[in-house]
Amino acid sequence: MNLNRRMVLKSMGGTLALPLLESLSFAAPRPTTAPTRFLVVGNPFGMHPEHFFPTDFGKDFTISPTLRSLEWLKDRMTIISHTDHNMVSGHGREISFLSGVLPTDAQAFPEKNMSLDQLFARHIGSQVRYPSVGAALDSGIRMSWTANGVEKLPITDPQELFNHLFLNLSPQEKEQRREMLQRNASILDTLGSQFEGVKRNASRLDRDRLDQFQTSIRELENSLADRETWLDRDKPSFDIADHFVGETTIANKYDAMFDMIAYAFETDLTRVASIEFPAELNYTDIDGVNRSYHGCTHNGRGEDLVKELVSIESFQIARLTRCLNKLDSIREPNSEGTMLDHTIVLFGSGMGYGGTHSNRNLPVFVAGGGFKHRGYIDGRDNSGNNMPLCNLYVTLMQRFGIERDSFNTSTGALDLSFS
Amino acid sequence: MFRTARLPSAFILDSFMNLFDRILSWCIVGALGFGTALPAFADEGLIKMHCGKCHSGAEPKGDFSVHDLGTAPAQESIDLWTASLDLVKAGEMPPAKKSQLTTSGRHKLVEFLSDKVQSYAAQSQHSHEIAPRRINNREFKNSVRDALLIEDVGTHQPTDNLIGDSLYEGFDTHGETLGFSNFHLEQYIDSLRKIVDATILDGQQPESKHYEIDSRQIRSAHTSQNLKRPERRGKREGFDFLDPKELAYFEDFPVVPTTGWYKISIRCTGLDRGYYEAEKTGIYDDDPIQLTVVMGNRERTFDLPDNNIVELELTEWLAAGTRLRFRYPTDGLTLRGNGNFKFQNAIAGEYIKEHDPELYQQVADSIVNKPGRRVLRPESWHHWVDFWRGPRPRIYSASVEGPLFDSWPPARQVALLGKNPSVEDAASILEPIAERAWRREVREGELEPVVQLVQSKKQSLGDVAAFKEGIIAILASPPFLLLNTDDLTPQEEFAAKFSNFLQSTIPDRELREAVEAGDFESFEGVYEEVQRRLESAECDPFLKTFPYAWLKLNDINFMAPDPDRYPHYHRKKVSDDMINEALTFFRYAVEEDLPVTEFISADYSFINADLAVVYGIDDAPQDSKLRKYTFTDGRRGGFLGMGAFHTVTADSLGTSPIHRAIYVMENFLAIHPSPPPADVLIEEPDIRSARTIREVLEAHRSDKTCASCHQSIDPFGWAFENFDPVGSWRDAYDDPTLEPVSKRQRQKRPKPEGIPVDASASFLNRAEYRDIVGFRQLMQSKANSDRFIRCFVTKLLTYANGEEPDDYTEIEKIVAKSAEHDYHMIATIAAVIDSPLFRETSR
Repeated sequence: MNLNRRMVLKSMGGTLALPLLESLSFAAPRPTTAPTRFLVVGNPFGMHPEHFFPTDFGKDFTISPTLRSLEWLKDRMTIISHTDHNMVSGHGREISFLSGVLPTDAQAFPEKNMSLDQLFARHIGSQVRYPSVGAALDSGIRMSWTANGVEKLPITDPQELFNHLFLNLSPQEKEQRREMLQRNASILDTLGSQFEGVKRNASRLDRDRLDQFQTSIRELENSLADRETWLDRDKPSFDIADHFVGETTIANKYDAMFDMIAYAFETDLTRVASIEFPAELNYTDIDGVNRSYHGCTHNGRGEDLVKELVSIESFQIARLTRCLNKLDSIREPNSEGTMLDHTIVLFGSGMGYGGTHSNRNLPVFVAGGGFKHRGYIDGRDNSGNNMPLCNLYVTLMQRFGIERDSFNTSTGALDLSFS
Repeated sequence: MFRTARLPSAFILDSFMNLFDRILSWCIVGALGFGTALPAFADEGLIKMHCGKCHSGAEPKGDFSVHDLGTAPAQESIDLWTASLDLVKAGEMPPAKKSQLTTSGRHKLVEFLSDKVQSYAAQSQHSHEIAPRRINNREFKNSVRDALLIEDVGTHQPTDNLIGDSLYEGFDTHGETLGFSNFHLEQYIDSLRKIVDATILDGQQPESKHYEIDSRQIRSAHTSQNLKRPERRGKREGFDFLDPKELAYFEDFPVVPTTGWYKISIRCTGLDRGYYEAEKTGIYDDDPIQLTVVMGNRERTFDLPDNNIVELELTEWLAAGTRLRFRYPTDGLTLRGNGNFKFQNAIAGEYIKEHDPELYQQVADSIVNKPGRRVLRPESWHHWVDFWRGPRPRIYSASVEGPLFDSWPPARQVALLGKNPSVEDAASILEPIAERAWRREVREGELEPVVQLVQSKKQSLGDVAAFKEGIIAILASPPFLLLNTDDLTPQEEFAAKFSNFLQSTIPDRELREAVEAGDFESFEGVYEEVQRRLESAECDPFLKTFPYAWLKLNDINFMAPDPDRYPHYHRKKVSDDMINEALTFFRYAVEEDLPVTEFISADYSFINADLAVVYGIDDAPQDSKLRKYTFTDGRRGGFLGMGAFHTVTADSLGTSPIHRAIYVMENFLAIHPSPPPADVLIEEPDIRSARTIREVLEAHRSDKTCASCHQSIDPFGWAFENFDPVGSWRDAYDDPTLEPVSKRQRQKRPKPEGIPVDASASFLNRAEYRDIVGFRQLMQSKANSDRFIRCFVTKLLTYANGEEPDDYTEIEKIVAKSAEHDYHMIATIAAVIDSPLFRETSR
């Protein structure tokens, strides 16, 4: 892979020309109707509330400082105040962002703590090359969890994401890859047949973990088989050289990842994507940021530090904004509107605000997706109670084509209609 | 303080999560909602009389009602019983102010509670079995190494692709948190393939080559992302290491081309040690100049003599694809500017200005400022790059030869597969490997699927390569990747667990046989083996990993001290020194077999020059080596005086007695306060206000709901208020209303007087202290020492089992055994291993 990396990095000066859609024979067979997609972006520390939440409810709300880059999208987004997963304060609960369930409590739920994106990915299955794609720089924030209650880790390097999504192999490499897939498949076969012996003596206590192992074998077998099928179809080509001209900053690394996701959507390589802004990432390339992200959340309300924190948060939003702009500039084939109108975009965090360690009042908004958006709305019910965030997820599921009226801790669905 | 009262969700922590940072304020809430349907009071009299007054009614104190105890311990109330016992025993409940309990009365109450707890334990059929778990990445690397009889998994970073292990309470042994998925399995197979490929060589013996490297063929690889600048090359007189971040490499040998033995020799020396003042370079005069040879994930560091050419020789098994790099390992050369090396060059200018004014003037005169460009003053670093004479290693020349082989196939391969392995003999060849890997004898017919796999691959891959597939299958299988399954007999399981506990790897044959022979059925047998193994230097994994996890050292920089206010901490990477201090102390205590209580009672620790700066010590040797140092002020020594603890529990700008109290309680006293109820709104700290932390926390005393818990928690933390966020002593807080000032400003004006620190507090049992000195004495009381031992035992079991033990009675038995041996370390560890809680047997 090293060689390939070099090739990509050296082939500078290429333009980011997107091939015409008509020539997309290399992806899955084009769907005849427009697919619905899902993009979720999350962070581990929430948002500085005074800068994130607008000051006035309603469709005509005034855009808040952190969200300023999204001003152009004001009519096509819904920001919801007062949502939560009813978690006590402290770090470690934000990993329940997309399910409302902590790993420790997962056994009590049929889908364990499976995250919304993975639920969508399961729904799509092998209709597309990659059921879901997750990316982050440095490390993830533990946002995606599979139906087994196991973390799904993001790809943490733009180059690796590129290789994963777009790198086409030479015929020779393909042959090697095929052989390797087959060799691995034979090993899995062997593991499978050994398994009976191990399981024979297993007590009830053991069985759970053994089942997990056995499921893993089966899933990997399926996945290898899928990969072998896809191996013959070329991936779309994408030029990321532009993103690495001059110094690589976290801004252009994130932009590269978002662009790749947008293009993967466009070419129907995948329909579910997640991007994470991790805690440990060094955000100091951003103008005015000198401290660690976490350090900035514990600002003791010092003005300078709050400013640094808001810079980081605005940076995250700005990266997303750029991607939404791109999605909105592409017409959806086989349907009305732009790609953004067919992409449900969710931004949020499982933590309300790091400064107080509060897991109430989560910063959340939905954009695009063809919803009849409502601007800034109050999530509280008549008695002033916060809305379970899972209510929103039920709405998103329905929009995604999953006919369900409940999800984990939901008590209903958020009223957000779509055409 | 009631164990059940904590919310389980609070304890899934990932690697970067600092428990003590999670929350500003905690309360002890015995929030158990089963008080309604329970029968009468627990005891006729005692409990009712001494506890009932506060702990009853609609709003009992600490949210604990004696009703919750029921008449006798039951599964859901046993933790309340043991917590009550602990508190009464320690004299902390009932509080001295509210009760006239006499010593004999207390004794009776303790006896009553303790009888009840013990009789519960005796009649309950509690199973100590622990569910199987995946081996973690550390164990994977060691175990594969030992199953394949190699020195390590290989230099080509074959395990870098593994999915990182999430931590639970700092430990990487928790089954639920480790998880297992198809992603894990796939990464394991990939990783195993890479390891096996670099271990078993197929085909013709590759030819060896000799590379002579001239100093001008050594280059410095890019440190920044800017790839446009040309790489620096060595000069005729040698390649000098300047920036410690710089990695140098040989132009003709950047990457190992073929797996095999390589002989590397390097002619080099150390130059200009102490030429500049240590205060400027940040490199201590007594530290030797070193050179590190980086071979992928294997590193060797050498001390270089000053100005004397030495020829370093290495013979290493290197895997194809391994990058060969060299660097100057030092934490210095970062004190100028933002820490980037280029700013150090100004030191050369200052030196010349002082020692060779004429030259200085010449350079200053030759500066031509271009119109429209920034005017660079003579002292600016730009002019002095060519004059740099900081401490640095120099390589004159080098040679690499390889791949070399003792025989073909290499001896290590012959040891594994034999000289000419044939798939016909697959079963007998693979059996010893499987036996090691699976930690037990191979059963009849069990290898059949693997043998079939190997035989089926012969045609396409050939004999040797077919064996590789078989080995991967053996190592990707559940008996290898899963620990603690019922697949093992109790003896096999004990051997596996024992080996994993001390060495994080599969058991050797000797150990398995000794267990089989019954050698470890007694405490004495276990004791001898633990002692023998600890002495044999094989137990590094335990000596490093356990204290690291126990003391939550992974979190030390999750909330790092503010870089503007604590520059020394960042510039000299002091967190590394702090971690090493804690690990060195732990190793010392184990190797010297000291009493466990030494961790909190010692008046000494292990410090170097960087830590001496933090601790305000001026008589420590000027180098980076950690040495035993005895503190005479009664403030430091042992864990309670360590910067690692003070830092891991502090925010970047301030400290919180509550964080530190929680840390002390959970990690040193085995008390688990519960987080405050979800509806408590926690005030965000406000550095703009001039209130001290004591004033901010006044709410805890004035608000009844908070106070009932916090009066038991906070006294464990106030004592540390004299230690700032990096653990330096302070008599006064910095005035928080003042903006942080630059270094230059600081030097100019005297430090403004701050608000004096008040580090006193009193406990509910009337014990009180004025400052850390008094607190340390209280920590050595019988009750607190007992708690510390119990906590240590609990942590050892958490490391061994991945789960925190909850059987109070069995833990007490271990503590009693430890007491018989005056709490000495090895006896205590042996008592843990000998316990049913480790053996997973029922009583």
